[in-house]
Parts: sequence; C-alpha cells; structure tokens
Amino acid sequence: MKTTFKEENNDFVMYFEGRLDTAAAPAVESEMTPLNDCTGHDIILDCSQLEYISSSGLRIFLAILKNAKPKGSHVFIRGLNDDLRQVFAMTGFTNLFEFK
Amino acid sequence: MLGELVIFGFSIEAWITLLTVVSIFVVMARSRIPAEVAFLGALTVLLVTGVVSEEEGMAGFGSEPVVIHAAFFVIIAGLMQTGVLYWLTKNVLGDPKNYNNALLRLMVPTSILAALLNSVNVVALFIDAVKIWARKLNISPSKLLLPLSYAATLGGMCTLLGNSSNLVVAGLYLNKTGQSMNLFEPLLPGLVLTVVGVLMVMMLQHYIPPRRSAEQSFETTSDYTVELLVPTDNPAVGETVEEAGLYSVKGGSLVEIVRFDREIIMPVPKDEWVLGGDRLIYAGQINEILELKRTHGLAAADHHVWSINDIDTKRKMRTAYVDFGSSLIGRSMSQCHFEQKNNVALVAVARQGYRVDGQPREIKLEAGDTLLLECPPKGDRLLEQETRHTVTFFDSHFVPQLGKKTVTSAIILVLMFLISSLHLMPLMASTMMAAGLMMLLGCCRITGVTKYIEWELLLILGATVVFSVAITKTGIADNIANQVLQLCGRNPYVVMAVMCLLASLVSEFVSDVGSSAVFFPIMFQQAEMLGCNPMPFVMSLMLSVTISFASPIGSNTHMLIYGPGSFKFTDFARLGIVMHIVLLTLALILVNIIYPLY
Repeated sequence: MKTTFKEENNDFVMYFEGRLDTAAAPAVESEMTPLNDCTGHDIILDCSQLEYISSSGLRIFLAILKNAKPKGSHVFIRGLNDDLRQVFAMTGFTNLFEFK
Repeated sequence: MLGELVIFGFSIEAWITLLTVVSIFVVMARSRIPAEVAFLGALTVLLVTGVVSEEEGMAGFGSEPVVIHAAFFVIIAGLMQTGVLYWLTKNVLGDPKNYNNALLRLMVPTSILAALLNSVNVVALFIDAVKIWARKLNISPSKLLLPLSYAATLGGMCTLLGNSSNLVVAGLYLNKTGQSMNLFEPLLPGLVLTVVGVLMVMMLQHYIPPRRSAEQSFETTSDYTVELLVPTDNPAVGETVEEAGLYSVKGGSLVEIVRFDREIIMPVPKDEWVLGGDRLIYAGQINEILELKRTHGLAAADHHVWSINDIDTKRKMRTAYVDFGSSLIGRSMSQCHFEQKNNVALVAVARQGYRVDGQPREIKLEAGDTLLLECPPKGDRLLEQETRHTVTFFDSHFVPQLGKKTVTSAIILVLMFLISSLHLMPLMASTMMAAGLMMLLGCCRITGVTKYIEWELLLILGATVVFSVAITKTGIADNIANQVLQLCGRNPYVVMAVMCLLASLVSEFVSDVGSSAVFFPIMFQQAEMLGCNPMPFVMSLMLSVTISFASPIGSNTHMLIYGPGSFKFTDFARLGIVMHIVLLTLALILVNIIYPLY
C-alpha cells in the first residue's frame, strides 16, 4: 500500500495505490498528517489506483472529513472503481463525501 | 338417621363440613400437597358423605366466578400478545426510583381503577404487568402482587361495582326494602378505608414475604445479546456512536460492532464511527434495546438493508426455544439456512444463567437457548409447524408487539368494562363476549389459547363455591349467628360488631360473596328487631366481608395472585390479620358515624 501527497491548484491531493486493508490502515493513518492542517485548501482523495478498501480504511477517510469540515475545507473523492463505489454506497459514504 | 343427630348444636353433616374446611387449612399449611388437590379432596369428602348432592357438588365448576375467571385468562392472553400489557407497564406504572415509590405508584392507580372496574378485573389485568415491572425493578413479584391485591380490594370498597360482594349485598337490600342503593353508596367509608389500608401496607411492608416466582428463574431480563443493523441511509452514519445516541442505551450496553467486512470492534470506544452496514451488538434488557429500532431506525435482518423503508414494519418479534434434538444445536445461525428457509431474522440470543458473548448469528446454539426472531406478520401457525422439532415458539412479556391489534384489544377491554359497568350485560356475559372477540379479531391465537387458562385456580374456585353451599345448607352460619345474638343481648353496637366480626371470619374461610349472602338476612332481621335503621348493619356487613385479607380463600384478588406470586398459603396471614383487625374496627366506627342507628 502506497500513498503520495501533492499540492495541486491549491488543493491537497492524496494518491492511494494498492489495498487499504486492516493491516495497512495504521501506517496509512500516520501518512495522512499533511492533511491535518488544511485551512484554506480543499482535499482530494485520489482512489484511481486503489484496489480495495476495508472498514478501517473508510474510518481513515471519515477522520479526514471530520477534521476538514470545521475548517471550511471540502473533501472530494476521485477515481473510484466499481467495487469501491459499491462499498461507498453500501456504507452510506456516498452521502457524506463529494465526488469528482 | 345420622342426619338428624345433633352434637353441640350442629348436625353430623355440619360437623363433617366444619372438619373438612379446617382440614384444608391444616393440610395446606403443613404439607406440600397442591391447593387444587386439597380442595378437590375436600369436595370428594363432602360428596361421598352426602353433605352436598352430586348436582351441588358439580354446580360450582359452572358457577359465575369460575366462568368469569376462565374468560379473563383468554382476555389476558389477548392483551399480552397484542402488547397492551407491555404498554401498561411502560406508561401507567411508570419508572419508580425505589420500592416505596413503586408501592405508591402501583397502589393509587389500581385502587382507583378497581373502584370503577371491579377489583378482580383490575388484579387479573395487572398481574402480568406487575410481574414485568418487578423484573425491571429487580424485586420479587410477591412484594408487588400482594400490595396490588390489597389496593384493588380496598379500592373496590368505594363503589357497588368494586367488589362482587358489594353487588350481592345491594341486591339483597333491594329485595328486602324495594330501594336501590346508589352506585357510590359506600364511597365515604370506602375511601377512608382505602387511604388507611394503603398507608398500612406501606408501613407494614416488611410483612410481605419475598417469594421467588417460578418464571423468574426461567427467563431473565439481562441475558439477551441483541444484534441490530445500521441501514445505509441511517442518519447516524458518519457520526460517533456517542453522538448518534447508540452508545449509552437505557437497559443495555453496546458491546461490539461488526463491520460489513467482518472486522470486529470490541470493546467499542465512545468515539467510534458508525458506518452503514454495521451490526451493533448490545447486551441487556430486550425491550429497551428493541426500542432502538423505532427511535434510531435500526433494523433486524440477516442481509444488508439499504433503507429502513425497505423493512416490512408489520414483521413481528417472537421468542422461541431451541428444542432438544434440534438440528440447530452445535451450529450457528450463519452456518445454516434456517433464517432464509423460514423468512425469519435472528435478533437476539439468551442462554439461561449467563450472557452469551459474540455476534448472535455466530453463536453456536445449545438446546434450551432462547432466540428472538423477527417473523413474518402472518402465518404463525405455518411457521410453528415448519419449525417443529427445531424450535418451539412461546410468548414473552419482554417483546413489544405494539400495532393495530394493540388498539383493537384495548377497545375490546374498554367495551367489556363499559358494558359490565353500565349493566348492559351481566359481568359473565360481557367477559365471555370479550374473550370471544379477542379470538375472533385475531388478538390472541386460537390454537393453544387454553394454555393460558390456569386450570388449578378454576378447580379451587369451583370447590370453594361448593363449600359455600355446604356451610349455608348445613346451617353452620345460621346456627352460629343466632347463638351470638342470644349472647350479645340488645345492644345494637355490640350485635353489629360481633356479627361483622363473624361475617368477616366466615368470609376468610369461605368467600366474601357466600358470607354476605348468609349474614345479610340475619343482620337485617336483627336491625329490625332492635328497632334500628338497617343501613348501618347492611353497610358494615358489605365492608367487613371484603376485609378478609388473611387467607387466599377470603379474598378473590388474593386467590388470583396466589399462583403467580408463588405464595405460600400462610403468607397472607402475616399482614392480613393486622389489616383485618384495624380495618374492621375502623369500618364499624365510620359506618356508625355516617349512618345513624336511629
């Protein structure tokens, strides 16, 4: 599981690659620290290369959203494949996030 | 020849009756012979010795109190199955903080209801509700059932409808004088007696024995492990369990969350997020936890639920035991197709004695486990047939079944009360009609309805009516009453006091109705002979026969709580004797203040 952080057009973009399962979740969570101070920036979570997401992975996404909202930042999800879209739909996350 | 022999003023038949009645008390106080066996044994003696004829001996079983009680059991079954009893405990009795508070909250409303609707009606109606309440409060049911019985009988003293014996006395008074009594004739003395009686029960509460109810050890409230699903569109999704109000739950605790990908969160921290598809596992009181379905839009389902609107709200909760030899034993619900095959969903599992850890659907089942299943709204019988030898369905007090039928059965009940209160129909006819309507309108299942009838109680009641006949027929009551009059001289206060004491004592041993019927003509005649107003004699008789609290025979309401409270025969005497003496004295004083003798 690999993550890459970039700043593009004043947006904070986090690229995910591989399988975000329960085993990978703690490491990924610590790699999210650049997103904590997001005042004045929107966040894009790019999932184009993400193959799988577990409930632990979804909790990380939710934590990012909960942190960004009070700061006035939007959190967008980008590039979900069909399987991931199904997981997002089933867990009710489709209603929580904005999609690009 | 023998019948004409008189010993100490009593015939041989009278002696046989006296000895038989006394023997019942000795046998029941000293041995473990069931009450109904003792009563039937005594009845056999009276039949064999020819004290009562075959017709008289059997007439008791078709008498009004027996039929009314049998019909009541069916009505109670309907009220229980449709959730009226559940609603009553939740809304009428409330949520008391301690035992004293509980006594007050129980006795005040039940005494008022009894005055209007007859004490037997109210006790029969509240027995199960009070038993659920006792479980909630973690006190022995007997500690609440005895006060319930007192409150109902005391409240019943306030109106002619309140106790059956009041109606008997009023009817006899009408026959003698041609004047009908006002419905609220006994209100003033009755009210004072009720207030004093309620206060006495509260002060002498340590005389009420705590008895362990048989059902208590069978199904406990704290043993259920409940599984509820968070549908996708639930507003709690994205909130923490604490923010969503799913963490601190009345009557239970959130012990585990099982995610859609089978990840288990245990223990659950307060700030754990809620995701759609989560299965929340609670431990605790089933009725409180099931409230979450309604208040928080959670679902009971074996498959994923996208929206709570997809759930058929008419589906109902039913409880079942895993049978011995069941194919479910040693397997978990997720390993077999029981749910899919029968269109049911497992919601909770309880195991006698201890809580079973884990997700209910993953628990390896054992014989005797209690399952809470969400079932289709119709086809109970078919479901029971198809699951025979696997599980056995039973009715539980803990499962709320509120719906349209709750209203239907409540209407039937109110109708029954109105019709009997307004004398549009005799009480027996109105109760039978209500029982019939309960079955016809589907408020209680017709199959198996007889299991709700407490046959032992009906046998006792039937035999009691026969004793009443025997005591009247053999002249025991008449003889004693006349001898007392000779002894007392012409002081009306002394005569009234002695007669009321005797009437209440006979009432203790026979029944209030029988005693009032025996003593009324004698006391009325005594009043006329003494040149007094008969009203104080009549009213004091009416009140004193209902003050017989020291035995379950004397009080109809005590008889009703006898079995459900697992009382011993002598339990009633502890508080009953004190109540009997104080209330009888007070009744005599009050009646003579309110109704002048001359």
